[in-house]
Amino acid sequence: MTDFIKNPVVALPERNPAPHFSEQELVFSAEEKARIARWVSQYPTPDGAVMWVLWLAQEKFGFLPPEVLRLVATELDIPYAQVYGVATFYTQYFKEKKGTYVLDVCTCFSCQLTGGCDILHYLEEKLAIHAGETTADGCFTLQEVECLGACGSAPMLQVSNGPFVYCLTKKKVDALIAALRAGRMPGFTSVTLPQDEDEMGGNRRTDVESTIEYAALPIAVRTR
Amino acid sequence: MATKAGNWQSYQRVLLPPVKDLHKLSIYGDYAALRSVLTHNSPREVTDIVKRSGLKGRGGAGFPTGLKWSFMPPVDPAVPRYLCCNGDESEPGTFKDRQLMEYNPHQMLEGILIANYAISAKACYLYIRGEFADWITLIETELAKAYEANLVGKNIMGLGFSSDIIVHKGAGAYICGEETSLMESLEGKRAYPRIKPPFPAQSGIWGYPTTINNADTLACVPLIIERGADWFASIGAPTHPGPILYGISGHVNRPGVYEYPSGMLITDLLAVAGGMRGGKKLKAVVPGGASVPVLRADMIEGVTMDADSLHKAGSMLGTAGMLFLDEDTDMVAFLRRVARFYHHESCGQCTPCREGTGWIENLVTRIDEGQGNTRDLDLLLELCDQMEGRTVCALADAAAWPVRNTINRFRADFEAKCRQSVWAAQSAAA
Ligand SMILES: Cc1cc2nc3c(=O)[nH]c(=O)nc-3n(C[C@H](O)[C@H](O)[C@H](O)COP(=O)(O)O)c2cc1C
Ligand code: SF4
Ligand code: FES
Repeated sequence: MTDFIKNPVVALPERNPAPHFSEQELVFSAEEKARIARWVSQYPTPDGAVMWVLWLAQEKFGFLPPEVLRLVATELDIPYAQVYGVATFYTQYFKEKKGTYVLDVCTCFSCQLTGGCDILHYLEEKLAIHAGETTADGCFTLQEVECLGACGSAPMLQVSNGPFVYCLTKKKVDALIAALRAGRMPGFTSVTLPQDEDEMGGNRRTDVESTIEYAALPIAVRTR
Repeated sequence: MATKAGNWQSYQRVLLPPVKDLHKLSIYGDYAALRSVLTHNSPREVTDIVKRSGLKGRGGAGFPTGLKWSFMPPVDPAVPRYLCCNGDESEPGTFKDRQLMEYNPHQMLEGILIANYAISAKACYLYIRGEFADWITLIETELAKAYEANLVGKNIMGLGFSSDIIVHKGAGAYICGEETSLMESLEGKRAYPRIKPPFPAQSGIWGYPTTINNADTLACVPLIIERGADWFASIGAPTHPGPILYGISGHVNRPGVYEYPSGMLITDLLAVAGGMRGGKKLKAVVPGGASVPVLRADMIEGVTMDADSLHKAGSMLGTAGMLFLDEDTDMVAFLRRVARFYHHESCGQCTPCREGTGWIENLVTRIDEGQGNTRDLDLLLELCDQMEGRTVCALADAAAWPVRNTINRFRADFEAKCRQSVWAAQSAAA
């Protein structure tokens, strides 16, 4: 064995970590199997369905530890290494346990300039954690993410890979956290075109005006 | 002043029509364009119409769409052919495809089917980024309605053409927007871009002939069929015609997606978006997503939003996702975050990109934190030379361009931060 393998630069993951789920838990129901079969039928080879099945598994188990990846591999009859490779390539697949709600705050590009970093810091203070950590009560995980494709309503965040919350202000963040603590997820908000706002009584312009409190200098990105 | 965009004040929106009641099948004309092609045109003719319209890709590269379709090899009944619709939209500053899916999903679906017909594809994989979970649900619902109405699937409208649309959900990786990476992702692998050639038309998903187009590009197709290639070609700039979804963000009063003809003056678009916030002065514009070179405020006079004019001005059209920066913006902090984006999103296949993006981030960070030397700026520029054109995909170039141009065009800002540290070091030593 070379020195490199004996003393890796980056800590290697545990070879055989203790499983989080028991054998009995590690099964897909008949209904889930039917969904998987439908996905598999949509691709020339079963591999194509792996991303969908990982999404399903993540919904079911909350995150994707090795034993869940193995279950996915068995179900699709593809190598475990391939499933592991796919799961670790994408940021939205959770490889470790997260809080009940995952707050993905965008601090990229447009959001940085309109106060995304301020929102992130505000949340860090409010929840008393750093980006990337989970609160002690397991309620919130705070993450910093790259552009989520809603730059016209910046700053914004996404809750648990689901709904987007737009045009954030401190007040809106407070309200969101209170609602989530009470178990209320925000719903889908349609973004009106600015050209339609007058006609549709659009929801955006007033929001945008109130974010002016963040029109200050974009602060350097120091989150760690 | 007459601009390439012509009489844009009275322009009627066609991609994002002003609909009060969104997402209703009936208001989209029941796939009339598709019906018309299936009854009157051969696939070849459809491709020719699209060629004549001058439609260019809206995904960033601006490649002529009809020409791309004509690259598909002759039909062989034994070999399936595919279309991929690229709805990955992860380029920072770009949010038009999401708005399109929300406002007018059926126009995109109809465009997909017409394209499927033109290239004789068996199915289209509609790749949508995983973050757009709500929009995926929306598209799936609308697609189910279309299946039910026999507008998609087997023997569409009884006219003898069969084609499927399959929604694929991504899971958060910018690189999946790159066409070959998207194909790897569809095949259920790690999404490492492939070396080209072979190009997708020869060997795409699972090695079958494949064409890939952006969602917005495909949504233009039904309009071309319905109103004619000449009508489309007459909108906006002649070399890049058609409606453009300008995604305007940053320090403007009314950010959002605006639909106007191509070839709009940047200054007109700024006015349309309500001008700069708080009455501040404009400092810079990034006209087409994070990857394109930034323009200083004094460089945009008379510049229009089409490839030629922007090229002359020293930038690119990209995705037409425009970011306006005001006079107070710290360009170093801005570039630092952009550099972090590319470092995070590099897939790590090629050394110049994997290492280069990391070095760039470290160097810009050092400068931003007041620890840099002016020498670092030249090192950064040299790094860009070493990255451009030496990698499997264009991400490395996309990472290098903003660095090179932000430094060259705002050198004083960077030097100001560098000198501070030299002075600080000197005064500490004295
Ligand atoms: C790093 C990288 C990221 C890309 N991301 C996207 C994207 O998110 N959406 C998109 O439509 N095209 C993206 N593209 C461009 C595609 O590779 C491809 O050119 C485009 O989808 C073709 O469609 P079009 O001809 O209709 O523009 C990206 C390219 C590169 C190099
Ligand atoms: S250039 Fe970068 S992103 Fe593209 S294949 Fe190479 S390492 Fe991956
Ligand atoms: S920059 Fe935050 S959503 Fe695009």
